[in-house]
Amino acid sequence: MEMLLEALTSLLTFESILTVLVGVSAGLFIGAMPGLTATMALAMLLPFTFSMEALQGLIALGAVYMGSIYGGAFTAILINTPGTPSSIATTFDGYPMARQGRAYEALAAATIASVVGGIVGVIFLLILAPPLARLAVAFGPSEMFWVAMLGLTLVASLSSDSLLKGLLGGCIGILLSTIGVSPVGGESRFTFGYPPLQGGIELIVALIGLFVIPELLTMAAEGRGALPGGGELRKKEVSIAKIAKHIFSKPANLIRSCLIGQVIAIIPGAGGNVTSLVAYNEARRFSKDPKSFGKGNIDGVVASESSNNVMVAGSMVPLLTLGIPGAPPDAIILGVLLMHGLRPGLDLFTQSGLLTNGFILSMGLAALLLLPVGLLGGRVIHRVVIRTPYYFLVPSIAMVTILGTFALRNSMLDVGIMLILGTAGYFLRLIGIQAAPIVLGLILGGIAEEGYVQTLMAAVVDPIPWLRLVSNPLSMVLAGMVLLGAATALVPMWLARKGLLDKVEEEDSDSGGSS
Amino acid sequence: MIVRLNTDIAAGVLGLVFGAVLWFPRADIGRLSIIFPRAILLILTLISVALIVKGFIKPSGRQIEITGSPRRLVTVMVGFFLWWGLVEVLGFLLTTLIAFFALTWYLARVETVVTWQRMLMWSPIILALVGGFYLTFTEVLNVRLPTGLFF
Amino acid sequence: MTFTYKTLAMSVTAVAAMGLAGLAQAEYPEEDITYIIPFDPGGESDVTARFQEPILEEELGVSVNVTHRPGGGGAVAWSEFQNSAEPDGYEIIGVNIPHIIGQPIQRNDAGYETDNWRIVTFFHSTPNALIVSDDSPYDTLEDLVEDAKENPEAITLGGSGTYSANHLDMLRFEKEAGIDLTYIPFSGTGPLKGALEGGHVAGIFNYTMLGTEMADSVKVLAVAAEERVKALPDAPTFKEQGYDIVGGAYRGVAVPKDTPDEVVETLEEAFAEANRQITEKQEPLGFVMEYITGDEVDEVMAMLREAYGPILEDAE
Repeated sequence: MEMLLEALTSLLTFESILTVLVGVSAGLFIGAMPGLTATMALAMLLPFTFSMEALQGLIALGAVYMGSIYGGAFTAILINTPGTPSSIATTFDGYPMARQGRAYEALAAATIASVVGGIVGVIFLLILAPPLARLAVAFGPSEMFWVAMLGLTLVASLSSDSLLKGLLGGCIGILLSTIGVSPVGGESRFTFGYPPLQGGIELIVALIGLFVIPELLTMAAEGRGALPGGGELRKKEVSIAKIAKHIFSKPANLIRSCLIGQVIAIIPGAGGNVTSLVAYNEARRFSKDPKSFGKGNIDGVVASESSNNVMVAGSMVPLLTLGIPGAPPDAIILGVLLMHGLRPGLDLFTQSGLLTNGFILSMGLAALLLLPVGLLGGRVIHRVVIRTPYYFLVPSIAMVTILGTFALRNSMLDVGIMLILGTAGYFLRLIGIQAAPIVLGLILGGIAEEGYVQTLMAAVVDPIPWLRLVSNPLSMVLAGMVLLGAATALVPMWLARKGLLDKVEEEDSDSGGSS
Repeated sequence: MIVRLNTDIAAGVLGLVFGAVLWFPRADIGRLSIIFPRAILLILTLISVALIVKGFIKPSGRQIEITGSPRRLVTVMVGFFLWWGLVEVLGFLLTTLIAFFALTWYLARVETVVTWQRMLMWSPIILALVGGFYLTFTEVLNVRLPTGLFF
Repeated sequence: MTFTYKTLAMSVTAVAAMGLAGLAQAEYPEEDITYIIPFDPGGESDVTARFQEPILEEELGVSVNVTHRPGGGGAVAWSEFQNSAEPDGYEIIGVNIPHIIGQPIQRNDAGYETDNWRIVTFFHSTPNALIVSDDSPYDTLEDLVEDAKENPEAITLGGSGTYSANHLDMLRFEKEAGIDLTYIPFSGTGPLKGALEGGHVAGIFNYTMLGTEMADSVKVLAVAAEERVKALPDAPTFKEQGYDIVGGAYRGVAVPKDTPDEVVETLEEAFAEANRQITEKQEPLGFVMEYITGDEVDEVMAMLREAYGPILEDAE
């Protein structure tokens, strides 16, 4: 406790607060650009932190991380494009809200949810790091396989009109993830003799292509901007106090999403990319009015954005205690820690506790500062998107998309893949195959494959190798959850088909259609 | 524009084609690298067949609607690919300027008549946008953008 | 695939190119240098490059830009480099052994050749190490070998990647000791730590860095180096225990084949200076600083190729 106070005082200097403020703002800008990820933001910052003291450097990294995960919500809401993979679920309700002229409401809700999520993550990290870390290492290959399967049951709920088409999209996504070098075996697959394809299809490239390009094409074809014009907007603007009241008066959603965010964040490898999807799915499952999700339900935005910001501090649990990065950006923070001679472990909390606690608290400060920076930035960016005529908006977004995709791996091939997937995505959407299941398959395919093959390899002496998949208690629990998840998603659908429930499928126009 | 199309059959056929493209080059891949993709390919095929069957028995959607102008859709689609293809020939800055002007002109024509004066008026905005992002990426973010023949 | 004839032919062309080199290149470097890292940011190659960057800039007097071109375990960047880089020393690329030996043998579309460039220097190496967790029943390498003799294939060892330095040296160890183990590849060192801490594998065959990073919770049974590593003074080498296994990953930097000698020498000196300045930061982490240049590069390559080549050809 004493150490916490001491850390807090060392943090409340003008210099530190300024570092956090600048870091959050810079992170927000980077996160809001499709293609520029939190990992890249941290990597770019790395050289600057060399010249700083250890604590200042870590504070800057933590602030940028927090800002960039949050920044992804902006584009998700305003132009239906997740700026980072962790904000995919924000598009589901955020963009419909924006199309109804409630963009600012969605942005404010996302901001408040992010602040809460960020702070909750910090609290978890401060008080529960050691027990959570023990849970993190319980996830071995067979458990990871089931985690991926659990994620794939989301396909059932992501595919609104046809389950088969959703599953088809998921399979396409998984197969896209197998292009390139195999995670186990090291051979190159499906490259068609073209060496650059060894690099495979990067998740973010597919994400940008499948989400942005169809949206741009629709805007161009219809001759409209992303959002309806300004006149409509004024009437519907709601005060922030009202939005906050709405969110906090029903805390169950918020609490559930934060818990989900924390549990998933500590599973190394699954990381932030799926937290928001799982939280969104659960928010809908527990909602009294699940049908309103996907059509502009503010709770969907809250669930997605609170859970993904828990992940920022949450994924530091295995990192700080065991040196295992929970999410890709954490690898860079690990590098900085090692560079300053700080070895992850319990010593980090005792011997160099001042530094560690300072770093953790600074993430809390960063989360708090999201509120003013986000609300102000949100207002500005919102205005810009609304006021800009669509004939400027389409080429501008296209340019940023191309730049971001290129910068990801310095590859023009990636830009080509992005355009091809995007164009294909437009037609797939027409025949009812949505982008979300494809991206989900792409995220989870690699995890599932690695877990599956590793488990089978380890079981080489067993008489029936695949039984290893369910030999640990934890993997049995997870397998049970997969069955349960699939059942709860499928049974209502089946009942509806039999006419026992009122029909679920009267809506058919998707988020990008003309409404 | 409304096109008559049985979407279930279309999706199923698409799944089969995609599966076939990946099925054939799989011969010389080692066991460890192929067991997983092979399993997924099998599932993909089953789902595709199921979709086709369903399409014949109980089709869900018999038509698709392309909102807006199909001609504009195809033009912009082709435009994006040209943009990409030209970057490596002409360099990022020049190609993007050309593409930006062309797209703005083409899309603005939907609403109004675009005169030379208007285009001229827009030039500083476009130059600032493209230049701003170009400089941010090359100078601040240290990304080496393709240079092509000129820059 | 045979490399021997090709190697010979290429060294002849290289020698010829050196003869032509004297053309007005005396002023190198005049422009900015691009230093390509073929891996994601945050890895060992990247962190090392970030350390080197300011020192290289000071030594060379121009700015050095580190850029990333990840994909295919390095192969994407390497094939692109061999196809398109100009031999003027303004584009340099990080290279790793055994990746550049293994990939072209293993894949028929790696897109590059092991020798189709000039390696300026290998600046450090990370020897392999056999690591088990603190509560493991094995206290020495002998314990593990005995158990493996009684229960073939039952002992699982995790490592980073397939036919990587970890995997190859584990296969050598199996041969030397006459035992059968089960190797399980993981994607990188992060998941490996979890697998060891969580008891999902009996041990790991990884680099010395992991031994120092996890010093509190693991036992290092053996290190695949000529002599004990400074950061792990208590960990015996394989050689001490009667197994002739020396190997690991070497990191270095390469330029295109026909790059003039003076340019290569300038770079050699700059990297050597960078090495001297970052020794005290990297050695405690478990890195072994190297100053391998010129003919020594070929010697190291030849040695490792001899050690790993047959295993890789077998696997093919």
